[in-house]
Amino acid sequence: MSFISAENVSFSYSEANKNVLDDFSLKIEKGEFVALLGHNGCGKSTVAKLLNAMLLPNDGVVYVEGMNTADEELTYDIRSNIGLVLQNPDNQLVASIIEEDVAFGPENLGIEPEEIRKRVDESLKAVGMYEYRTHAPHKLSGGQKQRVAIAGILAMRPSCIVFDEPTAMLDPSGREEVMSAIQSLKEQGITIVLITHYMNEAVLADRVIVMDGGKVLIEGTPREVFSEVPLLKRHSLDVPQATELAYRLIGAGVRFTKMPLNAEECVEFLEGVLK
Amino acid sequence: MIRDVSFGQFMPGKSVIHRLDPRIKIVLLIAYIVFVFCTFNFVSLAIVSAATIAVILLSGIPFRMYVKSLKVVIIIVLITSLLNIFYGGGDPIFEWGIIKISLSGIYRAIFVSVRIVLLILLSSCLTFTTTPTDLTDAIERLMKPLKVLHVKVHEIAMMMTIALRFVPTLLEETDKIMSAQKARGADMESGGFIKKIKAMTPVLIPLFVSAFRRAYELAVAMECRCYRGGDGRTRMKTLHMKPLDYVSVILSCLLLTGIILCNIFLAPII
Repeated sequence: MSFISAENVSFSYSEANKNVLDDFSLKIEKGEFVALLGHNGCGKSTVAKLLNAMLLPNDGVVYVEGMNTADEELTYDIRSNIGLVLQNPDNQLVASIIEEDVAFGPENLGIEPEEIRKRVDESLKAVGMYEYRTHAPHKLSGGQKQRVAIAGILAMRPSCIVFDEPTAMLDPSGREEVMSAIQSLKEQGITIVLITHYMNEAVLADRVIVMDGGKVLIEGTPREVFSEVPLLKRHSLDVPQATELAYRLIGAGVRFTKMPLNAEECVEFLEGVLK
Repeated sequence: MIRDVSFGQFMPGKSVIHRLDPRIKIVLLIAYIVFVFCTFNFVSLAIVSAATIAVILLSGIPFRMYVKSLKVVIIIVLITSLLNIFYGGGDPIFEWGIIKISLSGIYRAIFVSVRIVLLILLSSCLTFTTTPTDLTDAIERLMKPLKVLHVKVHEIAMMMTIALRFVPTLLEETDKIMSAQKARGADMESGGFIKKIKAMTPVLIPLFVSAFRRAYELAVAMECRCYRGGDGRTRMKTLHMKPLDYVSVILSCLLLTGIILCNIFLAPII
């Protein structure tokens, strides 16, 4: 069985509304970095909340390491195992001192004080915010606050972290800080599910899942998915800029062996073509 | 602009007073307030005043900060002492129409004003030397016995923590909304008091809406971090009584004995 598996899940926020998710299935293996794409209202955030038992499916089941999220006795085991980082860093921090905020999760789990101390220090070091441990959150930049929020989740020692558009409210430098923190977590073997609007972030993933209308539209490696430019365009989704350029050049008769995903690859291909 | 408001007025430092256990500080403050009101003659008043000055000196906070905190209550002090001057019974030493001033009235005025000043100085000392977080923490721990009476101690402390955390955030937001409304042509400076208050409506409504949205999101984030109330929760920082704390308690007991002795052996003036 996969680490996380959602089987034929349907979900709607109220009976009158139509289903946000409709017969949705998803499998995520341990250590994977999965990016979840799709435009607003396609059910991405709902998926995030279904994975950590914040929401329960109307139909179908979600298993996390074999634990059914509908089992109330396991709710907190699942939530400490699947961390969820939300969009607005300001609304995720609870305490007025960084280190106390990071301690909030482990404190809720009833862990011994010495162990909490150890975890807080480790988590803050992992996101590079250890020097700020006694600062107040409102004095930090957006990127720093979001890193503190990540540390707060990390201190619960989850094996998977779900990021729900973690960079949507940040400036470009904050976005970069958070993305490099996410990548270093992936290197430590933590499973990452990244929900995002930014294609250049999705490119970093092992696997990309594109959602539309509560269903999986297409999934595969970034290169496979972003090669399907016409399909994505039809669903009014973007592709990375480099891919877009290559796609248009192909339309104009230039031959590319494979789709470039970032600027470096694109330059390399163009150099080849120009020679 | 308003973002610079330092809440709780905490002043970082490493003085003896800073290092005291916050629980002890709160208990001692309450005890000192009682001491201040148990002074009935000049000797005991002098003892308490001397103790207060000693605490202030030990706190290592610049004296002008204390003066600043006194400015707020100066009017109250003046009014109450003025009223007390005329309320003293006994033989008048000055008479003019219905106004009679007696020696005991003057004494009363002195006692009342010194008591209020000491009260303010001591409580400022607590907020200057203790972080708001430490204060809420200490209050939570001191109130723990009330749990027997079904007082929701943990919930109250959690609310205080969150309120403290969001004061700067909401101030910042107020600033932003004010600028946004000004950019749309809202006039917030001109007009009288009533007009100015009315002009705040377009600031307060968006602020409230956003505060509720924040509260909802924070609740989701807290649940994601396994929050389920105070039961089974541990704390990273535990408070332990240090020798310093015991010394402060012993000194305060000595002070109390001094005041009691003064009250027994010296005649009360008021």
